[in-house]
Amino acid sequence: MQNNGQNLNRFYLALVTIVFLGLIFRLVQLQLYNREKYYTESERNRIRDVIVDAPRGLILDRSGIVLVDNRPTYSISVIPYEFLRSKGTSRLLALILNIDEKVLVKKVKKKKIGNFSPVRVKRNVDFKTVSDIEENLFDLVGVYYHIDSKRFYPSEVKAPHLFGYLGEITSDEITKFRRTGENYRRGDFVGKNGLEVKYEKFLRGEDGVKYIEVDVLGREVRELSELSGSEPKTGKDIYLTIDANIQKYLEDVMVDKKGAAVVLDPRNGDVLAFLSKPDYDPEIFSNPLTPDIWNKLVNHEQKPLYNRASQSLYPPGSTYKIVVAAAGLETDTINLTETVLCTGSYRLGRRPFACWKEEGHGEMNLLNAIQQSCNVYFYHKGLDVGLKNWTDFSHYFGFGSKIGLDFPNESAGLIPNAEYFDQKYGEGKWTRGLILNLSVGQGDLLTTPLQMAYFAMIIGNEGAAYRPHFIKRLVEPGTGKVERFQPNKITITQIQEETYKVLKEGMYLVVNGPKGTGRASWIKGFDVCGKTGTAQNPHGDSHAWFIGFAPKDNPEIALCIMLENGGGGGANAAPIAGGVLRTYLKNKEVVVAQR
Amino acid sequence: MLKRFSLDNLNLSILLTVCVLTVCGLVAIYSATYSTEAVTAHEKFSKQMVWFAISLIALFFVTYTPIKIFYKHAYTIYAICLFLLILVFLIGKGTGTRRWITLGPVWLQPAEFAKVGALLALAKYLSRDTRNLNNLKELVIALLIILIPFVLVMRQPDLGSALVFLALLLPVLHWAGLSAMVLFVFLAPLISLVCAFNYYSFLVAMIIICVILVFFQRGLTFFLVNFIINIGVGIITPIMWDLLKEYQQNRILTFLGLVQDPHGLGYQVIQSKVAIGSGGFSGKGFLEGTQTHLRFLPEQHTDFVFCVIGEEFGFIGAIILLSLFFFLVTKAIDIAGSVKSKFLSIVTFGAAIIFIFQIFVNIGMTIGIMPVTGLPLPFLSYGGSSLLANFVLTGLILNAARKRFEYL
Repeated sequence: MQNNGQNLNRFYLALVTIVFLGLIFRLVQLQLYNREKYYTESERNRIRDVIVDAPRGLILDRSGIVLVDNRPTYSISVIPYEFLRSKGTSRLLALILNIDEKVLVKKVKKKKIGNFSPVRVKRNVDFKTVSDIEENLFDLVGVYYHIDSKRFYPSEVKAPHLFGYLGEITSDEITKFRRTGENYRRGDFVGKNGLEVKYEKFLRGEDGVKYIEVDVLGREVRELSELSGSEPKTGKDIYLTIDANIQKYLEDVMVDKKGAAVVLDPRNGDVLAFLSKPDYDPEIFSNPLTPDIWNKLVNHEQKPLYNRASQSLYPPGSTYKIVVAAAGLETDTINLTETVLCTGSYRLGRRPFACWKEEGHGEMNLLNAIQQSCNVYFYHKGLDVGLKNWTDFSHYFGFGSKIGLDFPNESAGLIPNAEYFDQKYGEGKWTRGLILNLSVGQGDLLTTPLQMAYFAMIIGNEGAAYRPHFIKRLVEPGTGKVERFQPNKITITQIQEETYKVLKEGMYLVVNGPKGTGRASWIKGFDVCGKTGTAQNPHGDSHAWFIGFAPKDNPEIALCIMLENGGGGGANAAPIAGGVLRTYLKNKEVVVAQR
Repeated sequence: MLKRFSLDNLNLSILLTVCVLTVCGLVAIYSATYSTEAVTAHEKFSKQMVWFAISLIALFFVTYTPIKIFYKHAYTIYAICLFLLILVFLIGKGTGTRRWITLGPVWLQPAEFAKVGALLALAKYLSRDTRNLNNLKELVIALLIILIPFVLVMRQPDLGSALVFLALLLPVLHWAGLSAMVLFVFLAPLISLVCAFNYYSFLVAMIIICVILVFFQRGLTFFLVNFIINIGVGIITPIMWDLLKEYQQNRILTFLGLVQDPHGLGYQVIQSKVAIGSGGFSGKGFLEGTQTHLRFLPEQHTDFVFCVIGEEFGFIGAIILLSLFFFLVTKAIDIAGSVKSKFLSIVTFGAAIIFIFQIFVNIGMTIGIMPVTGLPLPFLSYGGSSLLANFVLTGLILNAARKRFEYL
């Protein structure tokens, strides 16, 4: 630049040199001269950030009874940096926890993320272990115990299939959650099944963090007030539509049975009870799950992990005759006065198709045929209705597809049609005998108990269906903020009101008629309507079914009871339905009395 | 045309220096974020890599763009930067402060670009041949060019970045011809005031001030008057400060953006010193820093990135880093002194000042000789805008290096 450029240049170069020398001087002071002091300090004064797990939200029944709660439990964690460096620690800890030392060290190495994030080595240890740890804390470098929470089930309702359970998060799940913008850490517990997984985002709280200073042995010296952590935020409480009394009644009455029950409020789709048996104690999953217990559950011949209410598929048996009746009335292939003679069997070609009553029902009209569940009547009418109509009307009522329950495990079921049979048996190679089977709810047709309860609701409501749901409202514990869920109404438009009236009359007779098959569910003054079913199946005894609703006009409750290999529907399922209805009425009286 | 893009006149040593510095930064960012969260471990590292690539492209673009274009559009660039700074107020993001504007997933920090914009505008204004800085009106305009972005950034509030503008002002005016003595007489009390809060820093400041006063050779009266003024400022300031009530002190500190939680800041500095000091001569090794991985500093990948270097790579690492910075800054001043175009000379010199100020304040803060102001360490701290701005400045220096002997 100009003449004075040289001077300016030198001046600034000198200034820069001074600045750098100043920095270096300070670094010499810090890193060389005082190194020992700072090193000791860095070893001594460690800050550890401790994640304070946020309690999960509670699950309550519709009246506020706590069904799923949290209970504190001790966990043992280690800080890998300290733990892996001191030789004796792993041996001592392995001894106290009663596990192999090599397994313990391997576990810590496998699970660690960086040197200073704690690794939880054992959950849910008993108090003796904790006191052993406490006693030996001086020799257990980098080991500490802390309080975790686990699920427990304070009411008598167990409903493991409904609630689901928690489990340690997998890396795949972390990645999956990450995509939706939610952050989980390794070692976190997440819902693995049932409502716990479905409502994970509500139930999960926001973890807090606190900073503590620890000494060279990794022991807490104090909580740092200089670094403000954050308080954990409890997850939201979920008030279910479930009625604990009905659920409890069903769990008790079906305790040694196999099967499922779904109870709905037809006025809004609230699921009042949802049950699958056999089940298991949900607290199994609250404690560390050993491969032993898990294998036992998975390989158990009764398959207790299976959710029979919405996942397992069954032929619905005679309960499905109501669908055939609806299709027949709508397509004018059935009228009320026309009768069919039942002689105990129906012959198609050379093959006889039996009615359940060997000596036959005699002359049957529609209402009698429903009341007494005459097969021969529905063989005739099934053929008249035809496969196409049968399939269409099955779909109208929601069979063959998922209802859209707010629940992870739901099956669609199977409504066979001509293409299906063509594929299975070869084109044109199947006979009308298959239609006969379908007419009485047998054959390839498969439904879930949930679908059958949904169907009972539609008939009871005369076409109005509400999507079944489990969640009534969410409550934020801190603020008490409430979020309500509105029922989702679907109207079935393909069926006339008169048809429903007839179907309801038939179902009324099933329970109230002199020869009704479902009389065991009769309750004085409650106008119970129902339909029994006894579904033969190749795997053993028949499945016992009962679907129904009450009262006949403006029903308040709809249900489906299914006992796997439970025998006759009228004798076995109908009494349970009656019990549910009585429980419901008793509740109602109590509620009315309280008001 | 082809010749223009040849590597012959590209100053490879500078290019290499900034690349090595950025790589050091990547290493430190990787280490600092390694243990923080299981899933996001490499996210910041990868993001910074992408910014590195973008910045390199920008650097070449700036290096090979004829300097005339920058000269011609200096005011436009400046206006755009001001517009962005105003935009920050309207749609800015950030917790507690508003420093960012978002373009989809990209968060931009206009204050970083404003440094470049203000430098270009100031350089253009000062490089007119007829410019006379002893004319008060022209001096005021030069001051305004700097003070407008300074106030805007200050109000975000981002004290650290705002101070860069101030730091730029006096040396650049000096470089452009304002009498050094005039500058110093005004500057010295300010230095005394700032340094007065720490016994050592005040002592050092006084010694430097004295040396410089002697250097002017304006006689004993001049020396004594200035000396007494500075000592006076140094003595009165802490007394005045103590006379203030605590909430008043806090109010001032908070206004300056110095403090959100004074206790917490002091704590950070202690921990930062422990981290660096415990690194010793050769450091604890990559990813082995105990302080770094304990996350005692929320900003170890940004403002406190030097801690990671100091702890994990020790004195050796720190010295290598400082040497690279020293080379870059002195080389830039060297180029600024020899380049023929006045505009380019001022720009290059300004870039060097921006670098040295940020280096000094940032590292000084981590080793406890400067207040915690929140300023990134050039090339090393995590942050795309800062990296890009620094590479653009380097591009301007490289441009000057190519064109040393050309007038505009």
